[in-house]
Amino acid sequence: MKTIKNPLYFVLSTLVLLSLSSCEPKALTEDDVFVQETELDALLADENPEGYDIYTLNDFLDRYMTEKGNFWSDTSQYRERATNGNGFYLFSVDTLPTYGRGIYIRGRITTDDYEGNFYKSMVIQQIVGGKQQNLRISVDLGSSHGMYQLGQEIIIRCNGLSVGRYSNQPQLCVPSYNNNIYAMNASQKVGWAPGRIPGSVFRRNTKMIGLPDRSKLQYDTLSLGQLFTEIPRKPSIDATGMDQVRKLDGRLVVLKNVSFSGKYQDGNNIVNCVVGHPDSVGGANVFAPSTQNIGYPQGRLLCDIMDANPTTSSTTIMCSNSEYAKFAYFYLPGANKTGITGCRDYEGTVTGILGWYQDKASDLTASGLDGYEWSVTPRGIGITEFGIKDVVMYYHGDTSDPWTPKEYDPNDK
Amino acid sequence: MLLGLGLTISAVAQTTLRGQVVDAGTGAPITGAKVLLSNQNIATTTNAAGEFQLLYLEATDEEVIVEADGYVGTIELVLLEENRTLDMPAIRLQQDIAKQTQDEILLNLTEEEMNDDEGRSQAQASASSATTDVFNSTTSFAWSTARYRNRGYASAGSETYYIEGLNFNSAERGQFNYSAMGGLNDASRYKDVLNPMEATSFTFGDLGQSTNYMMGASRYAQGWKVGVAGTNRNYKARINATYASGVLPNGWSFIGQLAYRFSPYVDNKGIIGEGIKYYSLGYFFSAEKQWQNGNRLRLLTFGAPTERGQNAAVTQEVYDLTGSINYNPYWGYQNGKVRNSRIVKSFDPTVIAAYDLNIDEWQKIKFALGYHYSWYSNSALNYFNAPDPRPDYYRNLPSAMWDGQIGNLYYETSVDQLYRADGSAYGYGLFIGEDMNGNAMGTAFPGADGNLVGPSVNAEQYNTLVRLWQNRDNKTTQIDWNNLYAANYANNANNPNGAARYFIERRHNDIQEAMASVNYQNTKYDHLRMTLGLEGKFSQGIHYKTVDDLLGANQWIDIDAFADRDIKELATNSGFTQADIANIRKNDIRDGYDNVIKTTDRRFGYDYRINMGNMKAWFQNEWTFHEVDLFYALQLNFNSMQRTSNMYNGRAWYLTTLAQLNDAKYGTDTYWQYLGHKALNDLANGVNTAPGNLLVGEAHYFLDPAFKLGLTYKINGRNRLKLNALAETRAPYARDAYVSQRVHDRVVNTIYTHDNAKSLKDFYAASEKVASADLTYEFNYPIVRGRVTGFFTQTWNGTELNGYYDDEARTFVNQAMTGIDKRYMGIEAALSVKLGTYFTLTGAASVGDYRYTSNATAITSAENGMPMTQDQATQDLIFETVDKVLLKGVRLSTGPQANASLKLSFFHPKMWFADVTVSYHDWNYLSVAPSRRMQGLYTGHRLDGTAVNGWFGDEYANAMATTDDLPLVQPTMDADGNVNWQNAQLDQNGMPVLQYPYSIMTMQENLAATNPLNRFLIDASVGKLIYLPNRQQLSINLSVTNLTNNTHFKTGGYQQARLPRAVRQGEKDYHNSVITANAWKYPSKYYYAWGVNFFLSVTYKF
Repeated sequence: MKTIKNPLYFVLSTLVLLSLSSCEPKALTEDDVFVQETELDALLADENPEGYDIYTLNDFLDRYMTEKGNFWSDTSQYRERATNGNGFYLFSVDTLPTYGRGIYIRGRITTDDYEGNFYKSMVIQQIVGGKQQNLRISVDLGSSHGMYQLGQEIIIRCNGLSVGRYSNQPQLCVPSYNNNIYAMNASQKVGWAPGRIPGSVFRRNTKMIGLPDRSKLQYDTLSLGQLFTEIPRKPSIDATGMDQVRKLDGRLVVLKNVSFSGKYQDGNNIVNCVVGHPDSVGGANVFAPSTQNIGYPQGRLLCDIMDANPTTSSTTIMCSNSEYAKFAYFYLPGANKTGITGCRDYEGTVTGILGWYQDKASDLTASGLDGYEWSVTPRGIGITEFGIKDVVMYYHGDTSDPWTPKEYDPNDK
Repeated sequence: MLLGLGLTISAVAQTTLRGQVVDAGTGAPITGAKVLLSNQNIATTTNAAGEFQLLYLEATDEEVIVEADGYVGTIELVLLEENRTLDMPAIRLQQDIAKQTQDEILLNLTEEEMNDDEGRSQAQASASSATTDVFNSTTSFAWSTARYRNRGYASAGSETYYIEGLNFNSAERGQFNYSAMGGLNDASRYKDVLNPMEATSFTFGDLGQSTNYMMGASRYAQGWKVGVAGTNRNYKARINATYASGVLPNGWSFIGQLAYRFSPYVDNKGIIGEGIKYYSLGYFFSAEKQWQNGNRLRLLTFGAPTERGQNAAVTQEVYDLTGSINYNPYWGYQNGKVRNSRIVKSFDPTVIAAYDLNIDEWQKIKFALGYHYSWYSNSALNYFNAPDPRPDYYRNLPSAMWDGQIGNLYYETSVDQLYRADGSAYGYGLFIGEDMNGNAMGTAFPGADGNLVGPSVNAEQYNTLVRLWQNRDNKTTQIDWNNLYAANYANNANNPNGAARYFIERRHNDIQEAMASVNYQNTKYDHLRMTLGLEGKFSQGIHYKTVDDLLGANQWIDIDAFADRDIKELATNSGFTQADIANIRKNDIRDGYDNVIKTTDRRFGYDYRINMGNMKAWFQNEWTFHEVDLFYALQLNFNSMQRTSNMYNGRAWYLTTLAQLNDAKYGTDTYWQYLGHKALNDLANGVNTAPGNLLVGEAHYFLDPAFKLGLTYKINGRNRLKLNALAETRAPYARDAYVSQRVHDRVVNTIYTHDNAKSLKDFYAASEKVASADLTYEFNYPIVRGRVTGFFTQTWNGTELNGYYDDEARTFVNQAMTGIDKRYMGIEAALSVKLGTYFTLTGAASVGDYRYTSNATAITSAENGMPMTQDQATQDLIFETVDKVLLKGVRLSTGPQANASLKLSFFHPKMWFADVTVSYHDWNYLSVAPSRRMQGLYTGHRLDGTAVNGWFGDEYANAMATTDDLPLVQPTMDADGNVNWQNAQLDQNGMPVLQYPYSIMTMQENLAATNPLNRFLIDASVGKLIYLPNRQQLSINLSVTNLTNNTHFKTGGYQQARLPRAVRQGEKDYHNSVITANAWKYPSKYYYAWGVNFFLSVTYKF
């Protein structure tokens, strides 16, 4: 019996001992995964033996974004095609030093891609002196907002990255050769341009500061009239004007007292939306009919509720939406299978990201500006459980009678 | 003692041989040793006392071949005299500790390859070999590293595994689950292994080998055995202890074994098993009672609860970047410790009772009952509305920067071939070198990874990514657990009731089986052995998901992510309300199902069972004559399968409702592709769908006959010719029968044809037909022995199921392929020569040709129930597309098809063992993706007439042209779907030759290393057995595999199913994608043989 016992004791005690080591690592806590404000300095100091600088977003642009960009010395690649000939360019890429002092920017994310109106891009907001500063970030991460969520403050190490403009919109980026020969105005776009930061590089360069806090986002609530007293609807084509629009791009606004006019821009004309299948009718009375995959944003004209006859000359702005948004084929507020006659009955607010987008170099002339370079891009209309409801409308302003989103139905004959 | 055999040998004068087989070192009797008279082809096995007796023999010179598991066999010459009994002196066998170690390594290797329940795994090595066969005993271990498969057969459907006469192949998948015996080298020691199609005593058998493990306690010598082993494989150490009582005076014998294999998490990057933990505790207990009349009762149980991490095949780019063939993308650091996202948990507790009844001297009957429950689950990261967390996701690799930067040969103006400094063309495609105006953009640059990269790729970013990979940056090359937790915590703050962005789910694929068998043998008649077998088995596959870890999230909301995304399209379908649409994305639409999953015990996603019944009846007659042996056997095999579900899936409801809505329009069962008909478990027929009710699907029944025969012509005592043949039909396995079994009840069309059979042809519409034959010449001289076998097998009408993400439909699709024909033919040969006293030289070779001999018909449908395309004429939505898969001529990816090895063995009577084996392997082919060989890709139209968006000839007029640049004439297709390729030149597989780089997407890659020297593998082992006083012994064995550390040896791989599609801007419909020139966007993934690895074991017996 003794012989049996000894090996058994040996085996069993070894088993017990070894089994103890089979556990998974302990779960991570919030403190483990978010950087706290108090520990930030130490972290950055540790990361940057040569020191570091945290720039405000505007200072960052001022310091590093040049008109022509420094990335490509051969101007034939893009510059001459996308300039107004007076030294202003739609596209630029400035590379940032890889080594040396750390270059940081920080801000709170104002965008959300859950309803599909932002794709592989985000906007961060920084409040300086009570005012917004904003910057777009182009990142090659699908569903990036699942990780970098609305209200999340982040700090980004920009060394080795670039800052540039795509269609005159400033953004943190990397240089990328745009080979889309099918794009609108392709002859001006094909070539080196701001491209998406590889996802793994962005993740590595970015720290999340604390939990997201949407309450800390600043929304500037304005009527269209107030908006265009603060920003130039048609800026001057000079250094001052360009600097102004480039730094106002990305601003988070709440446009109050607005209605969808039921109109959209067709060329240089403002025309009524029509009834039709959004798959094939570009002027359909929904948020974003198909562009046949050209992919440019679809504008739907917003006007002040007091504007009886919105035109190119009145105080209006485009509501910009992607055909890939989940709500793309939803009727505009008040629109239905019969048309757009109900649109003006719905009044309320549209929240979104203010954008300044110029598609071709001829827009960089005073005569080229048509007034619709400015747009507002809502993050959602609230058709999904956790989507952002940025379009809030009521029947004649009656808060007891809200607008309910309704999707286009081909059976609505 | 011999009288104890219970036989009277003096009553009738007869020629008899008897003797005892013992361990040469300890003198202990060896139970279960095989004793074969070579000339008369009569065999027996030794009893618990190591004794044997053979009666009614012919008086002649005989060779007595004695073999036992774990021992070196021997041949003794005897002279049998008429009506005399010859008592042989004790036959002493030397232990073969090298073979014992190799068996253990092989068992573990095979278990580890049983990697997945749904994805890919490489071909498994066979873990058992016929020890009496010089070819199999030589190759089973030596060629296992290369994943050699005997005759090219896949494990499922060819090899049959029995334990004590009970069938242990999974009824659902056809495979044997080695993890049930993980580490139990003693439990699996004794086995009968029969070569393909030979006569077997325990089953009818199949195309491949048949193995019966025998676990009776009386086979084991009395005493303790304890051992330790160290290795650098996926586990690092093993300890085990076995105690056997031997046969006690009361006839009982007992044995128990415990084996523990383990490895803590390994975080050293680049070594074998990186990111893997391994814990497995195997147990085996057996009790056996023997009566004087020879009747025996055996009760046994075994199992091995195991928890182990997994690794994955990756692309060559990743191997090159990390500089290691051991890179594993499944793990990352959490709190500074390694965590693997893929953890397998398995436990197969098994109980068996077997009773052998000797009716009389000539008749035996064996009964066996068994039950086992197999818990098998593996974990995986899931994510929802968040970035793909896989570090090796293609967008995270430097090559993702090529996307869009590779020109089209005939379409783009800005195309420039890249050249190396030496002027040779660069293999990685045609990077854009000119802008739209034809201006040169600059020069290509040598990337930090050594690749020459085109001027349209940003050098700094490319090199930055390369360096992150090369330096094995933790956030780049491993799972970033911190970010996954952060995403969930952030989500909790923003949407406290929202679904987890990331979580680990556990996919359960359990199976429970109850088995019974009766085996009757009769040797009453001269020259004839009759065997009759009855086998019954009920199996239930149990499939569901649970949450393993929410990674800090509050909950998971159980909806189908793809259906959720495509909700817009659903709305455009007629007759569905918004409430309906909301339901469709649910995985259970019944009231009372709470789709908020907060705990790890709730089932979600799917929860279904497949009930399978199997009954086999077979008989076999074996005739033995002086010059000729003959056997024939017949089997009837009944199978049934039926799916039941505990969840009422929204997509199943949707498809069935659509079918009902459209019945009036098209007629029931007429237009599969329009209706997705019979999608559901007969819900349309009034099944009670109330919560808690099991939804019972349609049952399917199959009856398949099989016949085999064998003829042996004994040229003389040392030379013989054998001919074996088999013909059978086989029902499809359940895993291949259901089109989308997680969602609905729909089976492949051939089964519906079978169910509604109006003729015999219809009845066998779903069954695979098999015909096989082999011819063997074998010789056996004292110095030289060996055999040569030629074999030919043809199968027809096989069924396979694939699932993959389809970039045209932009969703996960299931693809059921039917009508698959395959051919296996080849030669295998082995020769063993004794070189003096100490050395033996053994050579083995196998050259085969295993390939598809037909194209297949594929039905493809979206798992989320979305339409695949639209009828261009009627605008009807089409839910299933039918097309041909151009497989004819493609080689099967079941391991290398050309193999050879030379082994030199050394054995010294002072119990030193050593051997060295050099093996060569070639013709090992990549598993092709059917999605890349769909006929519609080459013609623009599928077999069903629907148009394919973005076929090869669509975007680039000359994409499919002859190599001499004849202009393409559009292929035409007749009513049967046969295509006239016209001017196209066909390759050896009958595939149209496409212009570079498209041919890369369709050609079949030979995985053999470019440098022929790297196709060799060298193994070696050395061992010593030390006999100690009082029958104690100590054995030490070191086995080293891949001695030269060949890190260029690919063992397998597969093409990714995804095609490099892009939506060209300006197209009308986003479905109108085109195939881009970046053929490397989704490159193949590979498995490599491990580099040098060792297994050192020390065993002490007392």
